[in-house]
Amino acid sequence: MLWLLKMNKRHGTCIVVGASSGIGIAIARRLALQGRKVALLARREVELQAMAAQIDDSIGRSLARAYVHDVCKLDEAEPLFARIEQELGPVDELYYAAGVMPLVRIDEFDLAKDQLQVMVHALGCMAWCNAAARRFLQRKAGCIVGISSVAQDRGRIGRPGYNASKAAMDTYLEGLRNRLWRHGVQVTTIRPGFVETPMTAGLALKGAISADRAAQLILHARDRRKAIVYVPGKWRLIMFVIRCIPSVLFRRLSI
Amino acid sequence: MNSKIWREEMVRGWGMAVGGMAKVLRPTTAEQVADAFGEVRALGGAMALRGSGCSYGDAALASGGRVLDLSAMNQILAFDPIRGIARVEPGVTIRKLWQHTIAFGWWPKVVPGTSAVSCGGAAAMNIHGKNNFAMGTFGESVLAFTLLTPQGELLRCSREQNADVFFAAISGFGMLGCFTELTIELKRVHSGRLKVAAIVARDLAHNLQILEDMRGAADYLVSWLNLHASGRALGCGVMHRADQFEPGEDPEGLRYFDPALQDVPTSMFGVVPKGWLWPGMWAATNLGMVRAINWAKFKAAPLEARGSPYVQSHGAFHFLLDYVPRWHWMTKPGGLVQFQPFVPYATGELVLRTVIEECQKAKLVPYLGVLKRHRPDPFLMTHSVDGYSLAMDFAVSTKKQKRAQLWGLCQRLAEVVLQAGGRFYYAKDAMLLESSFARVHGAAATQQFRALKQRLDPQRMLQTDLSRRLGV
Repeated sequence: MLWLLKMNKRHGTCIVVGASSGIGIAIARRLALQGRKVALLARREVELQAMAAQIDDSIGRSLARAYVHDVCKLDEAEPLFARIEQELGPVDELYYAAGVMPLVRIDEFDLAKDQLQVMVHALGCMAWCNAAARRFLQRKAGCIVGISSVAQDRGRIGRPGYNASKAAMDTYLEGLRNRLWRHGVQVTTIRPGFVETPMTAGLALKGAISADRAAQLILHARDRRKAIVYVPGKWRLIMFVIRCIPSVLFRRLSI
Repeated sequence: MNSKIWREEMVRGWGMAVGGMAKVLRPTTAEQVADAFGEVRALGGAMALRGSGCSYGDAALASGGRVLDLSAMNQILAFDPIRGIARVEPGVTIRKLWQHTIAFGWWPKVVPGTSAVSCGGAAAMNIHGKNNFAMGTFGESVLAFTLLTPQGELLRCSREQNADVFFAAISGFGMLGCFTELTIELKRVHSGRLKVAAIVARDLAHNLQILEDMRGAADYLVSWLNLHASGRALGCGVMHRADQFEPGEDPEGLRYFDPALQDVPTSMFGVVPKGWLWPGMWAATNLGMVRAINWAKFKAAPLEARGSPYVQSHGAFHFLLDYVPRWHWMTKPGGLVQFQPFVPYATGELVLRTVIEECQKAKLVPYLGVLKRHRPDPFLMTHSVDGYSLAMDFAVSTKKQKRAQLWGLCQRLAEVVLQAGGRFYYAKDAMLLESSFARVHGAAATQQFRALKQRLDPQRMLQTDLSRRLGV
């Protein structure tokens, strides 16, 4: 029952990084439905403004505010965090949902694409989590939720850059969790499987869940103060099996 | 797939009752469309334009000829999420359009009963939805388009620019040229859901009365009719009314802006894949159970009415025809035709009553009847009138005699409708006669349309089975 008590204490501002589409906007909508003030962060200004306006319009209250931000601009994270706190009040939850998945051909080795993924998944996440961790540690409260991926569990044939950058993010979040948990700050890692989002629109993903369902499971994991959560849960088993495949066999497979 | 080779394929109307072999080409860009136009022009041949192929009849067919299938030209070129204006290629389906726009709170102003139709086809046939009495036709949501004429000219058309072509190409069933790009205005929705209410209608008069009473306030109105009911219950059915939510009225509807939550479910009770429901329906149709099913559906209606109003996602309310994929296969092998007369308000009840009674007398009762309210619109070859339409689905027999009987009945019914000043809808029609063409639209409109056709397409390059049947 402890988590229920903790849940009721939540009333501060939430930051959602990567909120113009997919899981990010779904989380932002559900947070707004819970009556939370939400700062939406993303690159595309018009889309982001429209999303924020829609949340306010649908709920009938002013809860969402759009902040145009490119996570690749690492220096901007700290001042923007401060600005959001100034404008919307103290932040107690950070959701890092920014993600990119460029199309990579099987014989393509493009550093620019790899660099972008490391920027968005790993460095961008570090910049925002650092800004949050510094404050949360001081207040001995707060919650960081990072959207990693099941793809981080193994390096695979299709997207080495994606796997590696998500793995970097995932490991970083684990380190952060071990640092902060003892001070009352929660760090939750989410590893989504197949989710229907604009990022995965071109791929025919069998059994994909909706972004809204993913957001529901993510917020549930937050409430239960989980450390690492697969979304949906069946992916824990699937990825366990995949992790067990010895390299000598794995390098011959095309999964 | 090579986009330059014409392939010999079987091309059918969606109802599967008409069709034939044709040479088909699927261009992916406007340049390829222009190339195809040039090629056919040089050959001196004819061809038909086709979108998703959802016209029930022969509007997108050219048996023995050439068909330009535009379904691969399906990119959304731009969308302004602040003003809700989309620029799309003609092959973009309504489904692709709303999947892109609903996340920003925009929904197409007019959608049909299936989201598989293409925007180009929707404009060419000037389709309507369950809100025709309020929002008008699809053409009214089109702000502008680019039309490639058969002579290879690109015409930019809007209400201000080339207005004569604008009002004729929309509703012009692909006779004047090929849309290469359309600018479409969408409408703001404040929730991802609609408030839906079911109302039991005792008979035809009651049905029409509800339409008249509610059309000032309701956003969507559509009535399902049990056409097997006769006597005092003739024309009884269930009216569905849907209304949009105001800002802040349905906060929970915010979640439904996720496109995945707008989709109609793909399985029944979570297990039976719906793609495999049609054999059951086929069996029911062929075992003569349609009457019993309609009766049961009507008897179950009060239960639904008692639970009203309830909320439903936009997709779930609008796209009834998408609930059971391939449902029209239940009419295999003969296929189906839809007969949808549009009748003016003044004589509406009388004409519709006559039409239903004639069907029952001929023992050719449609398995489905759908009643809607309409209003006129400014397009040259429009089907809309200030009145009602009754869409009736007939299963077609493979037996020649029975097929002829059905065609005969529809022609008799068409005469009744035309005498009352009624109209027909080319997205559905499969049997209207050449002599009826001028009677549907009036001599002046027909003449104007033919003059435009002569001006833009003097070689008569764009022809379909429909246009040949009507002698356009």
